[in-house]
Amino acid sequence: MDIVVSQIMTGLSIASILMLVSLGLAVIYGVTGVINLAHGEFVMLGAYAAWALQTELGLSLLPSLVAIFLILAAVGWLVEVLVIRHLYARPLDTILATWGIGVMAQQAIRLTAGGELRYVQMPESLSASVTVFGATESAYRLFILAVALALFAVTWGIYRYTSFGLKLRAITQNRSVASSFGINASRIYRLTFAYGAGIAGLAGALVSPLKSVSPEMGTTYVVDAFMVVVLGGAQSLMGTLASSGILGELSGYLAFYSNDTIAKALVLLAIVVIIRFRPQGLFTARVRA
Amino acid sequence: MPVQGKNKVSGKTKLEIAVYAAVCLAILALPLVLHDAFLLNKYARYLVLGILAVSLSLSWGYAGILNLGQATTFGLGSYCMAMALKLKTIPIHTGADGLPDFMVWNNVPELPWFWKPFYSMTFGVAAGIVVPMLFAALLGWFMFRGRVTGVYAAITTLAAMVVVQLLIIDQQAYTGGFNGITDLAQFDVAGFTFDAYSSSSYYLVAICLTVSLFLALAVTKSKTGLIVQAIRDQEDRVRFFGYDVALYQIFIFSVSAAIAGLAGMLYTIVMEFASPTFLGVPLSLSVVIWVAVGGRQSLLGAMLGALVVTGTQGALSESETFLDSWTLIMGLLFVLVVLFLPKGIAGAVEKLAGKFGHRRAAPVPPPQLQPQRTEAVANTRHAESLS
Repeated sequence: MDIVVSQIMTGLSIASILMLVSLGLAVIYGVTGVINLAHGEFVMLGAYAAWALQTELGLSLLPSLVAIFLILAAVGWLVEVLVIRHLYARPLDTILATWGIGVMAQQAIRLTAGGELRYVQMPESLSASVTVFGATESAYRLFILAVALALFAVTWGIYRYTSFGLKLRAITQNRSVASSFGINASRIYRLTFAYGAGIAGLAGALVSPLKSVSPEMGTTYVVDAFMVVVLGGAQSLMGTLASSGILGELSGYLAFYSNDTIAKALVLLAIVVIIRFRPQGLFTARVRA
Repeated sequence: MPVQGKNKVSGKTKLEIAVYAAVCLAILALPLVLHDAFLLNKYARYLVLGILAVSLSLSWGYAGILNLGQATTFGLGSYCMAMALKLKTIPIHTGADGLPDFMVWNNVPELPWFWKPFYSMTFGVAAGIVVPMLFAALLGWFMFRGRVTGVYAAITTLAAMVVVQLLIIDQQAYTGGFNGITDLAQFDVAGFTFDAYSSSSYYLVAICLTVSLFLALAVTKSKTGLIVQAIRDQEDRVRFFGYDVALYQIFIFSVSAAIAGLAGMLYTIVMEFASPTFLGVPLSLSVVIWVAVGGRQSLLGAMLGALVVTGTQGALSESETFLDSWTLIMGLLFVLVVLFLPKGIAGAVEKLAGKFGHRRAAPVPPPQLQPQRTEAVANTRHAESLS
């Protein structure tokens, strides 16, 4: 029983991190259709922001979260204004441009903060372990799970119940008709991009105590996040939730029972097959086009 | 459209051929003035990457298939050549039973079946072209028959490359794993040995470059090439004309893979090893940068883009600080090119040349709503009426 629970909890922990990392990507891709390869670098910048606030200002992780969200939202806003907004008509080129931005972000960090690994302290109040259904679990991992679910709920709420969300959904369905009803699509896109980047930053800050922080850390996250979004369906937030759950539990299970490399290759192959037969993802919300 | 003879080559094409030939001649003539073996090896390496860029330009620039996994086929070609060259070292670098050294270290009892044909160098060279081609044809069939295009095709090719790379790293006993295949014999044909550090290898690479460049040019000028370009611009319209769009896409994807495989083989000859990094994401995305900077819709531009970018990188790599800032500048340059020069430097040059040569040009075509999009479709129709 203990092993089953702890196995499930490990999967949930992986899933919550996946969820955090891919939520921002899902929002950006779902709304604007931009494939943001710099997303991993937003995550990385968030982790470095946490590190910088801790070592320079002595701030603990929890109080600095709001600042990190704002910093990364500003970065995302800037990227949208300077680069992305010129490329909405050329979706393939957004892959290239955002990749270039990612390279720059990595190199800028390497030049300023150095290439070596950095460590972020876990908040003391959460460094203990707790017992859940007979299995011991780190309190911090449970905290991440709670934050991931909360952020999902907030995003869902914005999407569903605010006038901003209404406009967002209108644009996603048909940009030109929405514009002709007086919705400022460019502004909505910009805010969406900023919001997605901000969440990515939060994700980076939250995982930073669990993993070492390095300029290259974003690369793995962006691949994982893409898998979640492709599996879940771009325009479906619920799909993102479900697919991070599936992929999280699956990776936990595969890592436990088999060879890591082969497991990774199998998951990638599955993604290739899914793109071929269900490009809209497994859990698509029905959108009237 | 006035009726022309079928074989009549337009003035623009003649000029293009002349420019291509001039560049190739300059490349071929380099060893006459340069005798430093180390530099010749370095330049040969750049030229190989130039061939790789030509192959990507063919699929991305002309067919609109952004292959983020172009290094897959490059790496496959490189491994085929490395396997053949490794088996030639049998009397020298082996343990028991004539096995390659890394297999002995991994306790492989006998040579696996798929290594055996590589005793023949002819088979190795053929496999270096055919294996990448088959891989591309299979992947292309899988994608294009399902009408996977654009962004999804890009992600599929990227994922497929990572799968192949993971498999090669995982099967260490048969592929050398992380270390790749090292300590190779030198490539030789009919008793003539191509030393990696000599003008002979440089000439081999330069000739292959010339051949692939002109082969690719011929493909783009053919009727098939025009249809492929039309598919890039207006896929549905070409489909409505009754063409089998997927078949054309698979064709160009495979030709591109064959050229990349050739480049991979040459890379093994010049570098004297094969490594899983040859199928890596960094190399694959670098190719995309070179081609974007040089001009994706110009084979020559893409090739020169590769030479200029890798050349600059190589020149700066002696100093660590320079290399660091270079990466930053590279990223910025790349973003700027994507934003302001979507057709790369070659596109800009063409535009400038167009302005100067304006007076001599034929009557100006009437302004169209989307001139770039309709051009290739019109050409196809033209080609259609000629055949």
